[in-house]
Amino acid sequence: MIDPVILLQILWTGIAMSSYFVLFTVAFALTLKVEKLWNFAQAGLMGIAFYTMFWTLNAGHWPVWAGIAAAVVVTCAVTVGVEVWAVDVLRRRHSSGLIFFIFTLIFSQFVSFLLTLLFGTEPETIFPSVMSPVRIIAGIAVTDWDLQAVGLTLGLLIALYLLIRFTRDGQFMVAVADNEKLAGIYGISAMRAYLLSGVIAALLIVAGIWLYGTRAGVTPDVPIGLILTAVIATLIGGLGRVFSAALAAVGLALLQSFSILFIASKWQTLLLYCVLFVALLVFPRGIPVWRRRVRTPPVPAPPVAAQAGG
Amino acid sequence: MDYLASTGVLIGIYVILATSYNLIIGYGGLNTIAHPIFFALGAYAAALLAIGTGLPAVLCIAAGVGVAAAASAALAVTTLRISGDYLLIASLGFQLGLLQLVNNLDFTGGPAGLSNIPMTLGGPGRGWWYLLMTVAIAVLVIWLVHRAMAGPFGRAVRAMRDDEVACAALGRGLFTMKVVIFAFGCGAAGLAGGLYAYYFQYISPEQFNVAQSATILTMVVLGGLGTVWGPVIGAFVLVALPQAITFLQLPSSLVGPLQGLIFTTLVIVFLFLRPHGLVGTRMAGAEH
Repeated sequence: MIDPVILLQILWTGIAMSSYFVLFTVAFALTLKVEKLWNFAQAGLMGIAFYTMFWTLNAGHWPVWAGIAAAVVVTCAVTVGVEVWAVDVLRRRHSSGLIFFIFTLIFSQFVSFLLTLLFGTEPETIFPSVMSPVRIIAGIAVTDWDLQAVGLTLGLLIALYLLIRFTRDGQFMVAVADNEKLAGIYGISAMRAYLLSGVIAALLIVAGIWLYGTRAGVTPDVPIGLILTAVIATLIGGLGRVFSAALAAVGLALLQSFSILFIASKWQTLLLYCVLFVALLVFPRGIPVWRRRVRTPPVPAPPVAAQAGG
Repeated sequence: MDYLASTGVLIGIYVILATSYNLIIGYGGLNTIAHPIFFALGAYAAALLAIGTGLPAVLCIAAGVGVAAAASAALAVTTLRISGDYLLIASLGFQLGLLQLVNNLDFTGGPAGLSNIPMTLGGPGRGWWYLLMTVAIAVLVIWLVHRAMAGPFGRAVRAMRDDEVACAALGRGLFTMKVVIFAFGCGAAGLAGGLYAYYFQYISPEQFNVAQSATILTMVVLGGLGTVWGPVIGAFVLVALPQAITFLQLPSSLVGPLQGLIFTTLVIVFLFLRPHGLVGTRMAGAEH
């Protein structure tokens, strides 16, 4: 019999650990929803955001807020640049999904090679130490990092929900996601919606990599692994359902955390890919319980067509 | 001179990989990116047999081809009912999952890989003999793909790519066709894997990761999807040009990232300047 305190500890640590997965997943799912783009370039953005903070805080000795601000500015600028000078060009050419896939993946690799050249392959963290003060609450160890991670993630998700639900730009973004041509007829700029979703994704990425980089070492090729987890959660959550994808990310993180009770930690990643593979085969449109139930009026039977010549 | 031979062998191996992948994605229109795992399965099967049993190289490589083809059939049977982006991601999951398995098992050498693969074709001219053999096999694979796609079967495969419903309405067994081209293409990737393992005598899981998927996919798309010579030229350009930097005598820590930068820059430049591939033409259903 496993001690309930241990189970609660795993649950809490799993939830805290899921924070950056949630942020990366929401960033990926939002871009996929609005732009219909499997944006693997976000792995490159993670690398850019992390090394901007790492360099400004460690080599430049900037204050923390300035380092974060620099990462936000640089990451948003690169996002806008990629959107305007690359993705939009491919979109206007009516390029196939394969071309977008190649471009975004190759862009991430380009960034990874560039960062390797500049910073090497040694794992780096944003601060020299990843230790965080611990307090014991009802027998469970809760670190300051855990609280910061959960608070920041919840805050950003609530802000995103409010933006989508109550602002004109957020509603325009959803309109473009639902039907770009129809939105255009009503005077909504698709490009503006794309840029907004890209910038929001960039902000989520900066927050996510901040959390990751203050807890674990980052090398230039780490972001590719992180984006794959986001892809898996997005698929399980169901395409176009951003907040379901966030829930799926929490579920996957908890699955990985609890799996240490049954399997060695080295098999945790394999478990993730097995989930992806099975989920795609069994639920290619996402887990059914998360699908929005829409009442559709009964469809009248089509009129019987007169047979030709009869 | 040995370096030139090694580069030539590498180009030959990538020509086999790109040509066989072109059969699946270019002619068949099956969006899968798991090709490197079949390359890996061929390499690991051949290497493990060579190390464990000492069988002749031909038999070990043939076993590698068999393992890759069998694994591809398993993937095809389970995933070919989904298509498009879903197939792309499912194949990525299949590749990364199997790679993780290879990475964690003891008998595959784990992350360190296998380094004691026996040598074939020893002697001072080894590289050149190997180059000759690799080129001959690459030419054979190109010829086989060309022959298969120039005949009635090839027309049926292209029809399936362009319009599955119309092709099925004509009584064609789409599923069988997909499994056949998948098994043939992946078997050829296994063959390339066997050649790679015997020539370089060292294999590790990181040689077959997502970056490898992007590399082979890029060779085919930038060369020209669904063309005979596109993947050949794509493989040649994208392997040979980054190798040029090795003549600059730079520190080894710089050579890898610089080669990567050259490769990715070339891809991005070609993607925007030659969107239909170096020898490609605009194809129905695969607009660039």
